[in-house]
Amino acid sequence: MSNAKLEQLMSDLSNARLSDGTQLSIEMFDGEDSVACIKVEDREEFPIYMTADEGQILCITYLFGEDQVVPQKRAEMADNMLQMNVVIPLSAFSKIGDQYIMFGALSPKSSIDELLHEIELLSDNVLEAIEAMSDYLQEG
Amino acid sequence: MSIFNKIITAIRGGATEVGEAIVDTQAIRILDQELRDSKKALGDAKTSLTAIMAEKTGVDRKVKELNAKIKEHEGYAIQAMDKGDESLALDVANKIAEFEHELTIQQGILDGYDSKVTTLKKMIRQTERNIQAMDREISVVKTTEKVQKANELASAKFSGSNSALNSATDSLERIKARQQQREDQSAAAMELESEENGDDLQARLKNAGIVDSGSSGSSVLDRLKKQKENS
Repeated sequence: MSNAKLEQLMSDLSNARLSDGTQLSIEMFDGEDSVACIKVEDREEFPIYMTADEGQILCITYLFGEDQVVPQKRAEMADNMLQMNVVIPLSAFSKIGDQYIMFGALSPKSSIDELLHEIELLSDNVLEAIEAMSDYLQEG
Repeated sequence: MSIFNKIITAIRGGATEVGEAIVDTQAIRILDQELRDSKKALGDAKTSLTAIMAEKTGVDRKVKELNAKIKEHEGYAIQAMDKGDESLALDVANKIAEFEHELTIQQGILDGYDSKVTTLKKMIRQTERNIQAMDREISVVKTTEKVQKANELASAKFSGSNSALNSATDSLERIKARQQQREDQSAAAMELESEENGDDLQARLKNAGIVDSGSSGSSVLDRLKKQKENS
């Protein structure tokens, strides 16, 4: 069921553009047809992974790995992320394994416009977040 | 242990070493098993609820029958008294007392069933909620695992190396540079366009004789001569 849902979302999104006309490219990512990869034009470095099941639609973007964080500043960064979580519109910080991520979750009943809004905001938020966290990241 | 705690254990279990799978598949298998057990328990609870409700219906019927019999015999007793047959009335009254005794017993059983049914229904609702929560959480953990795999695949595809090693700030700089380039391009294009429009306007003004069609050697010479005369 979830795969059919994801495929439906992908086909709805394939003809859509963001509010400023930016194009999206979407492909099924894994062999199990359970993760879609969305790339926002000109921001291909930060692809958005989308999954869907009965409970929710999840959009996830990887920010950086633990190895990029200046070890002495790690606690301060984590504290900042927690504080920012409430303020950032629709997206939140989290962590998968040793990778920091930003994600947004939607009701599976969300409209395609709501999903597009989510993708647009997540994409903007990711750039803002990396900018904001760059003080805690190692140079280069 | 709450479901949340179990999930944290499951996630942490695999995340001890960098690069290792994040989800402890063994822990997920245990959660899956618990979910199956809960579903089985739910099925059993529903079956016993059905059985108890069937038994309750039987007792319910007995209680109704007894109530009807008591009413019926009360009528008989009154009729016997009306006829002045005191001993018949007493026999009937004894019978009624028997029925009432039986009724008290059956009513007690019925009340017992009622509270059992209420408890079972509560339990079933709780189990259903737990199962839903577990289903949701397990699905999120599994999703996370899939996304993790997807990212590893993407990293390999993207640069032939692990993109986790590509600095996020570098990527941001690249994106910003591209954006700047686009903006410069469109600014340049706009400038070019306005220049072209401007040139076009100049040409039209010249054609219309509004603007001087440009200086020539003779016109410059004329101007210089005038200046000389005036000085």
